[in-house]
Amino acid sequence: MVVKVAKVQKTKPLPAAEQTEEEKMSVKKYLRGEAADLGELQDKKLKGQLAVREELYGKSAQAAAQAEKWLMPSEGGYLEVEGIEKTWRIKQDAIAAEVDILSLRKQFDIVLPDFGPYTLDFSLSGRYMIAGGKKGHMALLDMKNMDLIKEFQVRETVRDVVFLHNQKLFAAAQKKYVYMYSDNGTEMHCLKEHGAVTKLQFLNKHFLLTSINKLGQLHYQDITTGEMIGNYRTGLGRTDTMEVNPYNNVIGVGHSGGTVSMWKPTSAAPLVKMLCHQGPVTAMAFHSNGHLMATAGMERKIKLWDLRKFEVLQTLPGTTKSMQFSQKGLLAAATGGSFVQVFGDLSGSQEYSRYMGHSMAKGYQIKKVQFRPYEDVLAIGHSQGWSSILIPGSGEPNFDTWVANPFETRKQRNEKEVRSLLDKLPPETIMLDPSKIGSVKPATKKEGPTKQDIEAQKEAAIEDAKKTKLKKKTKGRSKPSKVTKKKQEAIMRAKKPFLEKQDEKVKKKRKRVEEENQLPKSLQRFARKVPAS
Amino acid sequence: MAEKGKGKSRGEIAQRRRRDGGEVRGKKRKNLSSSGKRKEEKKRRSGPSLPNALKRELERLNPTVDGEASDGEDEEIDSDAAVGNDVYEYEEGVAEEETMKNKRYDPVENYEFELPEDFEDWKVPSDEDDDDNDDENEDPGRHGRMLEEITGLPADAFGGKKKKDLIISEAYPESEYNPTGDILDGSGRISIQDLLEPLHGKSGFSKLRKDLHRMGKQTVPTLAPVARTDQERIERKAAYEQSKKDITKWEPLVKRNREAPTLFFDEDKELGYSTIGAIASEFKPRTDFEKKMASLVNQSEVVEAHKRDGARLLELNEVSIEDVKERQERLAKMRDLLFRHEMKAKRVKKIKSKTYHRLLKKDKSKAAEASIRMDPEAAKEHAMKIEFKRAEERMTLKHKNSSKWAKRILKRGLDAQDDATKAAFSEQLSQHAALTRKINSIKESSSSDDSSDGDDSDDMSAGSDQEAAEKLIKKAKEKTLKVLEGDDEVPTSGVLALPFMVRGLKKRKDAADEEAKLALEEYESSLKQLGDTSKSRSSDKEAKGASSGRRVFGAPEKVVNGTTKKEKVNNYYGDSDSESDAEANADDNTLNDQTGKSLKEMDIDPSLLREEFGFSHDSVFKSFGDAEDPEPKTAYEVAYLSSDTWKKVRKSSDALKGSEADLNVRKPGIVAQTEKDPESEDDDEDSGSDSEEEMVDGILSSGPKSTYELPSQAELIQRAFAGDDVEEDFIKQKEAVLDEENPEPEKPVLLPGWGQWTGVQKKRGLPSWMLKEHEAAKQKRDESLKKRKDAHLNNVIISEKLGKKAEKLHTKTLPYPYTSKEVFEQSIRMPIGPEFNPVTAIGALNRPEVVKKAGVIIKPIEYEDVSVHERGEGHKRSAPKQGKVNGKKRSKK
Repeated sequence: MVVKVAKVQKTKPLPAAEQTEEEKMSVKKYLRGEAADLGELQDKKLKGQLAVREELYGKSAQAAAQAEKWLMPSEGGYLEVEGIEKTWRIKQDAIAAEVDILSLRKQFDIVLPDFGPYTLDFSLSGRYMIAGGKKGHMALLDMKNMDLIKEFQVRETVRDVVFLHNQKLFAAAQKKYVYMYSDNGTEMHCLKEHGAVTKLQFLNKHFLLTSINKLGQLHYQDITTGEMIGNYRTGLGRTDTMEVNPYNNVIGVGHSGGTVSMWKPTSAAPLVKMLCHQGPVTAMAFHSNGHLMATAGMERKIKLWDLRKFEVLQTLPGTTKSMQFSQKGLLAAATGGSFVQVFGDLSGSQEYSRYMGHSMAKGYQIKKVQFRPYEDVLAIGHSQGWSSILIPGSGEPNFDTWVANPFETRKQRNEKEVRSLLDKLPPETIMLDPSKIGSVKPATKKEGPTKQDIEAQKEAAIEDAKKTKLKKKTKGRSKPSKVTKKKQEAIMRAKKPFLEKQDEKVKKKRKRVEEENQLPKSLQRFARKVPAS
Repeated sequence: MAEKGKGKSRGEIAQRRRRDGGEVRGKKRKNLSSSGKRKEEKKRRSGPSLPNALKRELERLNPTVDGEASDGEDEEIDSDAAVGNDVYEYEEGVAEEETMKNKRYDPVENYEFELPEDFEDWKVPSDEDDDDNDDENEDPGRHGRMLEEITGLPADAFGGKKKKDLIISEAYPESEYNPTGDILDGSGRISIQDLLEPLHGKSGFSKLRKDLHRMGKQTVPTLAPVARTDQERIERKAAYEQSKKDITKWEPLVKRNREAPTLFFDEDKELGYSTIGAIASEFKPRTDFEKKMASLVNQSEVVEAHKRDGARLLELNEVSIEDVKERQERLAKMRDLLFRHEMKAKRVKKIKSKTYHRLLKKDKSKAAEASIRMDPEAAKEHAMKIEFKRAEERMTLKHKNSSKWAKRILKRGLDAQDDATKAAFSEQLSQHAALTRKINSIKESSSSDDSSDGDDSDDMSAGSDQEAAEKLIKKAKEKTLKVLEGDDEVPTSGVLALPFMVRGLKKRKDAADEEAKLALEEYESSLKQLGDTSKSRSSDKEAKGASSGRRVFGAPEKVVNGTTKKEKVNNYYGDSDSESDAEANADDNTLNDQTGKSLKEMDIDPSLLREEFGFSHDSVFKSFGDAEDPEPKTAYEVAYLSSDTWKKVRKSSDALKGSEADLNVRKPGIVAQTEKDPESEDDDEDSGSDSEEEMVDGILSSGPKSTYELPSQAELIQRAFAGDDVEEDFIKQKEAVLDEENPEPEKPVLLPGWGQWTGVQKKRGLPSWMLKEHEAAKQKRDESLKKRKDAHLNNVIISEKLGKKAEKLHTKTLPYPYTSKEVFEQSIRMPIGPEFNPVTAIGALNRPEVVKKAGVIIKPIEYEDVSVHERGEGHKRSAPKQGKVNGKKRSKK
């Protein structure tokens, strides 16, 4: 058995043809879709411009693909088995025997039986972790140094913890309210509006803290301004499954009716509501590419959905209370109480199959499974503390220091904070297909004619009236004076409907005003009949 | 009668010939013969003809005559008939066959065709000639008298007399203007051959002969010159072609610049001189003063002094006392003068006498006028000033009641003003009027020039008396002289610079010159004539005719058709101008043809273009239509969907259910369910809290297994029943949502007795139009539902609402150059920011259309040969320095 762990730089160069193939692939990736068919364009100028643009895009993609070799040197590891060996039979001990010391350090169990079960969250870079015990124990850890930064007791139920934009701030859903703490355990805010929250999520690009409370209300709060962006009741009862789609930042909520609803902060109605399971939805997870969703129902089914077509791709057996996709697309699910199963899309055809498994000691109730970003590590929060196991090939081997830097210095962190604040996206950019931003507005309901339209219509009508030629009449009926009179009448006639409409509007308004300031009946006779002007 | 007419005409011809001083001689014969023939025919046709019935009767009486008449030899039979028929002796009845009125007889055309025409012609002239001679002999004296009367010349001058006594001395020396008698009467005919013979063997003879030969063939008369408008149009067309050609050469250049994604104007601009020394070194003396200064400065002494240490400069700088003194004196004088002038001005200004000022002003204006009169420079300046004022007035309309003051006055009413204001007002108006009138007058004068030209010509045609004729001839002479002298320069640009035009012009000019010479001679002689003899109207006609040189080709009023004939007559005198003239004519013709062709082409071109454009327009519209078509539909749909009010949503579900329950039988089930739901939710919540507590308990008791593994009974039940109704529930939910967005059409309800005859309604049920409407509404709903994204997904509800806030993230309309949504969306798919692109590409991706360094002057485009084939590469050059405009070259220069 051979285990390859991440961060192993590839030294063996690939043959030229393969490399070009690879490069082609990456160029395609950086081109972000195909160019429009310029052949059908009529406008030659536009055609030329677009051709030039496309060429530039091509060059850019080429350059990016070339840079990829240097910027993304590491390749993800994976478990490689020989013969009839199965990857899911490989135990953590076996892996431990093979990996280097640094990786070995990432395999551990923290036993804290008093305040479990623990829920976990990693910072974006994967360096920091907070663990929140149900009984009020919270710990902030530096996972790189294996260092406990802060540990404190809040002495009430903690249902969820989540990092905000960096490790300096995190939020905890406690018994009645949501609290925000700084990294040294100081309570920064108490967010009472959220109520008794069961699940928290943070949308880091929008700086929105999202929560769903016991009453099934969804809250979006901007943590930079403190403004409550959205407060919507799902109307589908209490739930504690809520996940963010990392691709478009749409919030998915699983309900007891077997439905999953997806929300954006600017709409009171769900974007999508789909019936996923017969029983209540117990867990869900989104793939980072945005079009794969996993849901688990109480009826012992885990379903993988294609979110582009809203169709089931695959149904796996099992119940789970917690699921997560890793950065590389492995799906970890805590099935059957104390067993963690990792599914992998090994064939590359969206067909998930068993990849690895890990069984905890009996009686460990797993509350949360969480992949550590940029590491091949899966953290498991359970009733007896938390454990960390190695799942080769789960994490993204190359990190972008502009996005998430595990080795961030304080200065960098501060700068990044400012930068990310400047780059904060407004909440309305959250939509099902964010690539549609900037495109032509989809056709909506037809609005009534605008003021200008009405004005234009009126003008046109008057013009028409002016243009109409009068019949030549005898006996002095075609005298200029008569003609002008008739014309004026025609114009008046043309104007009339518009004026009437206006009058109606005014009258309505007046009526409303009158109704508002109507005197009591007894005093009405004293009111002036004609308003003084 | 006819003879007389003929004689007259002949006399006229003779007279004319004399007048013209040389016209066709050979033609006379022809003329005569033809006229004789004509007379003959006239004779035959004229005279009263018998009514058809009588004719028939006659024919029946003597059929032989008819038969012979049909023979074809008209003349002899004519005479016979004249003898035989005593009743109608003077009339030669036309054979019925010939009249073709009556087809009872066989057509006799075949007879006519049997005989060759020549046969007749041989005979006829001799007869005629005899006749003619007889005619002339009949009454020669009368004819001569008549000629005398008409021409005013002595009767001896005419041929009639001449014949009798051949040796009569001519009144004038024989010349081309005054041909001899035998020429006139045609006995001694001079043919072209005769004229050519002496030239035989001389240079150019063969060419001349050829030309003659050609001319003999060429029967097409010279065309009248094209009307001026047409000619101008043709010229314009040609000019257009030319300018088009001129402009098209820029096309590739402009195209290249247009296609370039970026234009660079960032040449290394010259910052100019960095030091004063550099500037000074470039200095070259131009004016006298500067040259003088330069010579002084560059004196060897001074230069040397500079070079050493400058101490010697002081020595050189010595100024004599006299000089200083003189200068001081001069300055003092000037100052004094100035002071005095100033004082005077002050004093004058203080003087309050109006008359004084008026006189002063008058003096000034007088002086100015005098200076204008004396000094052309001043006059010019003055004119410029006036012109400027006019222009200014025209621009600003300052005096047209547009000033604030004037407006105010107008607002208040002119009547309310005092006299002074009124006067000022009217004065202003009059000033404006004066200024503008002057403009008008200028225009008028320019136009009157044109009209005066026309007048001239009018005069020419109108003037009939001798003085006018003389004047005209003089004028014509002047003009011809001018033509001979002037405008040798060939235009270098425009239509006239075209090679064929140049050639044509040259030829025309040559011809015109020669003709002008000829005309000059003619003028002189005619002037002389005018001076000598009594003048007649015809002379000025002639002058007019003669004045029509080829040069005035464009002036149709001067070229009379008759003149062309005359020219031809002139040609027979064998001057060398004749053929060149013909050539010129031919050239003109070809020119016309060419222009005609180009005209045709031009006619075709625009239509073609239009067609093309039409196509493109069509397609554009089509694409627009395509792009826009779906919009209204969807808009409608959405409107339909969202027409439901928010209130409905908000309404308590009970009310909804209540209303629905009335209509639908199925609904009660829902009610029950929905009533159930909250309970179940409550249960759920309760159970949740229960389990929580249990869990907590379990943890506290560190025996988690029991609580986790075995869910509570309630939970189990719930789970057991969970799957039963979720699906149906969801479908109902979806229906509700759909209904909310797109309500089902109301069932047709009919008020009894409305819109129907009584009794009919019951039998037939609902009227068909109602049903139809309902059906249509239903269909519409179905269609709009089908269009939804979730139409075929039973377990999914996708909201179609965009949200007002998100609207601003979309463009409302397709941005300008794009016509299709797809193309636009594809074009914006790539981010161009630095976060998404490698550094090497960002610059090119974000480069503006024009890159220009500050301070670079963008000069007008310069011509540069760009081959059309470079176009293909245009797209490829996105590299920074390749889309360069010609700035660099210029700066290098």
